Amino acid sequence: MTLAREAGNLADLGTEPYYLPVGDEVALFAAAYAARLPVLLKGPTGCGKTRFVEHMAWRLRQRSGRDLDTPLVTISCHEDLTATDLVGRYLLKGDETVWSDGPLTRAVRTGALCYLDEIVEARKDATVLIHSLTDHRRILPIDKTGELVSAHPDFLLIISYNPGYQSILKDLKHSTRQRFVSLEFDYPDLERETEIIAREGALPETVAKRLAVIGQKVRNLSAHGFEEGASTRLLIYTGQLINKGIEPRRAAQAALVDALSDDRSVQAALADIVDAVLPAPR
Amino acid sequence: MWDGRLGMIALADVEQRLALFAEAMNGGHLHIRASADAPLDAHQATAVPSAQSGDNLYLPATLEADEPGLYRLLALQQIARREFGGLGFRLSIAYRRVPGLEGAAAGAPPSRASDRWRFYHHFPNPRLAAALLEGFERIRLNAAMAHAYPGILPLLRVQHSLLRQRPETHPASPAALSLFQFAIGAAPSCPQDHILHPIARRLLPPGTDIYDSAKALWDAFGQLDAQAGEALQEVSDPVSAALELAERQVRLEDWRQEERRLDGALLAAEMLESEQLEASRGQGGGAVRDEQVNIKAIRDQRDQLSRRIGLEHSALRNALGAEDQQGRSYRYDEWDCHAQAYRRNYCRLFELALPPKDDADVAALRCALEASRPAVQQQLEQIKPQGRQRRWGLADGDEVDLNAAIAARQDIRAGRFPDERLYSRRERIHRDVCTVLLIDLSASTDDPVEKPDAPPTASPYSAQEDDPYLWAKANAAPTPPQRRIIDVQKEAAAVMAAAMERLGDSYGVYGFSGYGHECVEFYVAKDLQEPFNAAALARIAAAQPKRSTRMGPAIRHAVHKLANSGNALKVLLILSDGFPQDCDYGPERGNHEYGLHDTAKALAEAQQKGVETFCVTVDRSGHDYLRRMCPDARYAVIEELEDLPAALTKVYLGLVG
Repeated sequence: MTLAREAGNLADLGTEPYYLPVGDEVALFAAAYAARLPVLLKGPTGCGKTRFVEHMAWRLRQRSGRDLDTPLVTISCHEDLTATDLVGRYLLKGDETVWSDGPLTRAVRTGALCYLDEIVEARKDATVLIHSLTDHRRILPIDKTGELVSAHPDFLLIISYNPGYQSILKDLKHSTRQRFVSLEFDYPDLERETEIIAREGALPETVAKRLAVIGQKVRNLSAHGFEEGASTRLLIYTGQLINKGIEPRRAAQAALVDALSDDRSVQAALADIVDAVLPAPR
Repeated sequence: MWDGRLGMIALADVEQRLALFAEAMNGGHLHIRASADAPLDAHQATAVPSAQSGDNLYLPATLEADEPGLYRLLALQQIARREFGGLGFRLSIAYRRVPGLEGAAAGAPPSRASDRWRFYHHFPNPRLAAALLEGFERIRLNAAMAHAYPGILPLLRVQHSLLRQRPETHPASPAALSLFQFAIGAAPSCPQDHILHPIARRLLPPGTDIYDSAKALWDAFGQLDAQAGEALQEVSDPVSAALELAERQVRLEDWRQEERRLDGALLAAEMLESEQLEASRGQGGGAVRDEQVNIKAIRDQRDQLSRRIGLEHSALRNALGAEDQQGRSYRYDEWDCHAQAYRRNYCRLFELALPPKDDADVAALRCALEASRPAVQQQLEQIKPQGRQRRWGLADGDEVDLNAAIAARQDIRAGRFPDERLYSRRERIHRDVCTVLLIDLSASTDDPVEKPDAPPTASPYSAQEDDPYLWAKANAAPTPPQRRIIDVQKEAAAVMAAAMERLGDSYGVYGFSGYGHECVEFYVAKDLQEPFNAAALARIAAAQPKRSTRMGPAIRHAVHKLANSGNALKVLLILSDGFPQDCDYGPERGNHEYGLHDTAKALAEAQQKGVETFCVTVDRSGHDYLRRMCPDARYAVIEELEDLPAALTKVYLGLVG
């Protein structure tokens, strides 16, 4: 596997990814795409940002009728991610040296959506790279080949970051963030979160609602190192464990309590919340 | 079979965990307090949950039981009052929901009674009405809780089992006893059971509220009256004063909300009138406009409500005792040197924000910062060259990493794809230091700074002293405000903050004071994660002399913050002007041994947790007690107060440089 392919996760989006809207984010994103305005998604971990992007990529593909192999390219950014990982590099093939496009370049050429997840984690040379793609020029300069790639008309860049998680050193610069339309995400309300957990965990509504209640209660402890509380993702994991036959309290212990904190006293308090909301095992 | 012997659970043993649980279930911080009314033989307290009053949760200091989860149940039973509509009773709504209530003759309750009390006075025996409503509410709330939080069912069963075995905890009046027995699953034994129990069952399904209980009470009284009128004359159990206070506090919140709404309506009406006046200027007319009448009516209504709020606020404050602090509270142990043991959760510390100041005090701090800049800069230069190091194996940099380049060449020769990280560069080291600067804000810091002998001032009279008509005060300068210890401390804090900011260290600036073990105050001027900006400087400027000097809990709370910082090097710098003292910091007022020992213990605990501590005092007699208080003689006595800013910075740089 090449380094370039490792950097990108290429989704084919054959079936509709489930997503339950909480506001007008679907309409806003569709309008931004129609105007080819880059989009920035902000929100805590596990609240549905990536799932939203997948859902919108599927919707747009259905609407356009284009049959792309990879309509959505997702790249999880990290502190070692460089411009080269995104743009491409020369590879050795036998005695030859051949150029291999990176995931960003592939998306730009083919007109896919490119989603850079946790963009602030990437190195500065990677974030500066996207400036020319996100203004009126819509071009990607490839220094190593001397090429200026004009973006396909259907290309759109989407980035995400978690404002509450980042350290001061890794904040998104204003020259970058002001190139994007921002969509703010948060955990859904009790009713919607119940529906999501029930659907994703294949659970009865009563059980899903109890898990959603646990999520709400844990998020009330935001002043105790739970700035992000219990994510919807963790609640879904708990539901999935229950669906596979794990006793509910044990599932919550493994997927929620032990995952959220290593502090014994905090774990005890979280376990108390779980024990209050979920019935005792028979 | 229960033989009457059970364990004893202390609130202090479970309080920390319980506080987190209560905050999560309530959706807001709650100060947990031992209920003063609860007897030590606290199974009595399990019978009647004490009320949640404002942001306080009153629980018995001890429980005679083997199940510590009972404290969670008691906390949840109180929180459930608010969650399931058990507080905030409004007579106007009761009139709509309870047919016949509005027409009933009502007695005269006390002048500031809550709507709930006024509702009781619609019954021939208000105290019995109160007891029965409480009985219906217990049944309703327990059922609502069990439905929403099924996990507490085992605890409810334990509680009910304990109560069944302790008839001394049961209500005295037969009607109230009937409902109580229904609630705890006891065998029916009262003549009113056949009336009251069917009515109570109506409250078991989810989705009910207090007005359903009010209707149940109305129906119950009606049937009891029809059946046996003398039952309504029975003396009932005392009514919970705490519940009445809780109702009045909720009503006060509603009044404040209404006051804000009226403020908004008044502002909107005034703006509208102003626009209309502008539009109709010149058209004359002396009649009072409709808008003016409207504004006057709204203003009168708002003012009347404001007066009522003020009176009620004072009344509740008197009833509840000392006004509750608005900040979060924390509990800390205190070392009792006489008993050679910790007093568990003895101190309550409130973390409070310092309101920023926007006046000359801030300007004075800015001047001090500017004046100290050269000296601090010089001290920082001694550390900064060590603040950078070279990193190897990078994808870009200012020099080639020869080892990496050679390895890459080898890979190419071997037919493998080479690693591209062939460079190195110098990077700034991010210092892994976290510091808390803790400043004593006791009343003694209001004392003036003793200045050394100043040179004689110039004569206030003009040179023509032989002309009696021309004597005048020449260039008489206004007397400057006297500098106090607190002013010098604030300057030192600002200078230190600037130095730490330049170094890139993580730090917080806090003050402490308070009065008594239940009211230790911990003021936040700049928290660990906050930037040092104009707002932080304004908050430092806002620090004022307060009250006492209970150092132990303040140190423990500072250490708690440092321990959670995640930094490798943790430093606690304490700036004080005297020895630790407080109104109850020891059995004898004036004897400081207890406070000294507790503070020494707190500093020793800090050391055990890996925190470097240092005490700086401007008390010239500080050697006498600091040598006993501070481990490893980690203290300094500053003889000249004006040297404090520079000395403090030097101490800090010596610790972390």
